[in-house]
Amino acid sequence: MRKLTYAKAINEALIQTMEQDERVFILGEDVAKMGGDFGITQGIWHRWPDRAKDTALSEQALIGLSCGAALCGLKPVPEIMFADFLGVCFDQIVNNAAKLNYMFQGKAHCGITIRTPQGGGIRCAYHHSANVESWFANVPGLIICCPTTPYEAKGMLISAIKSDNPVLFLEHKGLYNVKGEVPEEMYEIPLCKAEIEREGTDITIVATQIMLAKAHKAAEELAKEGVSVEVIDLRTVAPYDKETIKNSVAKTGRLVLAQEGVKNLGWAAEVSAMVNEELFEYLKAPIKRSTSLDSPVPFAPGLEDYVAPQYDHLLAMCREVMEF
Amino acid sequence: MELSKERLLKLYKDMQLIRKFEEVVQVYSANGTIPGFVHLSTGEEGAHAGILDCLKKTDYKFPDHRSHGVYCLCGTDPKYVMAELFGKTTGINQGRGGSMHVSDLDCRNMGFNGIQGSTMVTCLGTAFASVYKKTDDVTAVFFGDGTLGEGNCHESMNMAATWHLPIIYCLINNQYAISTHYTESHPQKKLKTWADGYEVTNYECDGNDVEAVVEVMEKAVAQCREGNGPVLVEFNTYRWQGHFAGDPAAYRPEEEVQYWLDRDPVKITKNVLINREGVAPEELDKIDAELDESVAEMLKFSLESPDPTLDFATKYTYADREVEAR
Repeated sequence: MRKLTYAKAINEALIQTMEQDERVFILGEDVAKMGGDFGITQGIWHRWPDRAKDTALSEQALIGLSCGAALCGLKPVPEIMFADFLGVCFDQIVNNAAKLNYMFQGKAHCGITIRTPQGGGIRCAYHHSANVESWFANVPGLIICCPTTPYEAKGMLISAIKSDNPVLFLEHKGLYNVKGEVPEEMYEIPLCKAEIEREGTDITIVATQIMLAKAHKAAEELAKEGVSVEVIDLRTVAPYDKETIKNSVAKTGRLVLAQEGVKNLGWAAEVSAMVNEELFEYLKAPIKRSTSLDSPVPFAPGLEDYVAPQYDHLLAMCREVMEF
Repeated sequence: MELSKERLLKLYKDMQLIRKFEEVVQVYSANGTIPGFVHLSTGEEGAHAGILDCLKKTDYKFPDHRSHGVYCLCGTDPKYVMAELFGKTTGINQGRGGSMHVSDLDCRNMGFNGIQGSTMVTCLGTAFASVYKKTDDVTAVFFGDGTLGEGNCHESMNMAATWHLPIIYCLINNQYAISTHYTESHPQKKLKTWADGYEVTNYECDGNDVEAVVEVMEKAVAQCREGNGPVLVEFNTYRWQGHFAGDPAAYRPEEEVQYWLDRDPVKITKNVLINREGVAPEELDKIDAELDESVAEMLKFSLESPDPTLDFATKYTYADREVEAR
């Protein structure tokens, strides 16, 4: 099968969705003529100048406009240049977008898809590197996607745009240039479903985005030692797929959560609490987490790498649950 | 502008409906039957009735937090509005929204958000959709002098002006943001001049004179329908009550309150109808009596309606999935 980068897969999902559905339009800072700060929206404005809007630096207006247009039946796909900037329009997301379906009781929908890149590794310090999914995971009404492969990025974005729910579609900057197999035709990957990427019997690792490669590497390493690791790609952080995690942990009895963001009250904390509540009798060891330290992301490469969760730490957590 | 007798009679009825509706709400809020708190629009009837009279059913309306009358005049049967305030299952939003969150898609009341300034940016979307779908529907957003302090007012007007969106910014200047007079929190002597910075047409009028309201709104609506929006209109008026029902509003000078009470929008219209249009006072008394009866029926309906069933509490949190049970 042909291979595309993660960035190109997202671009293709946007273009194919816009070809199919004239209600879909994009808006954001530099998304039209320039094709986006990361080039994700290239080739759209030239085809559909009325459906690709460059805006002022106005994140509140971007999301507010999207909410209002969605209530009129349109399908807005706003881009926020960096996920860190979601702080500027936090109110619009948590108090407006997330509550409109509830407010209109199914008579109108807030089917907007907010695309934005998150995550560290590009050496841009604490206002361009955060993992933000847990900022929003506490808000009922939102769907929060964290695609990892190009295949997921395309299929989940198509599903997100078709959804009548507000979707926070968190792309990872560190994955934009990663290549993978992507079907040419349109296809949908269901939201709120996790994917078992590698089957195993001794440890379950649940991971998202750049932590998945580390999880697979750890699984390979541990296999050499006779330890069988199951790797689950969470895909959607909220509402997340409890059943897939529960079935896996019921089998393995050991759980390691690999989350790039800070430790305190991240999605891994919620998954850990759920497993403790519902599967305590299956657990053979305490649940472990491999996460960032609870600090902002520093600039200097050595400092950033120190704060971020590294492969060695994840491997050590896996060994700890085996040795318990 | 001198309106026809027929139109003025209709507006008188609209204003009296708001007045009488709010009088009942005030009583049942004070005695605790209406849960939570309410913001009464008594005193602002001229602006509310006049603005709505210039809009059609398919125009988008974004009320603000002081908008019980606006909800009714958008086209929702007032008894369903009142039942909503009482938190009843017969409320237009089945008792899930209450006083501040009454929405009704059928008459394009797009609801209020509860966070000041939020609808200032949501309204960009309905206006954008009108342009996108090539309809002539305009969007009217209600907001107060206090809301003008919110940053998204800038983002909204900047974008609307750049893209010529059909939005009428209805600035209901009732002088106070809770206890703070607008002159204490804004540098402009006339708030409407805020729009000058965006090269947006702006008008002001006496919000207690419904004929003046209609005159300026008709201009604003026409300009927006022709594709030359947005427009800002400042309606100078006053809330007779405190910020919420029960707020004694001790921060306002007595002579100021009296000045505005003397400029009662309902009485102003009543006088015009009698003195200029030759309407017999008995005819207006009859309208008043009919409204009293109608509001009494709304109250009875609200009081007798059942509470919402609990299985409805979490419905539609998502479009296509249920919230997990406890």
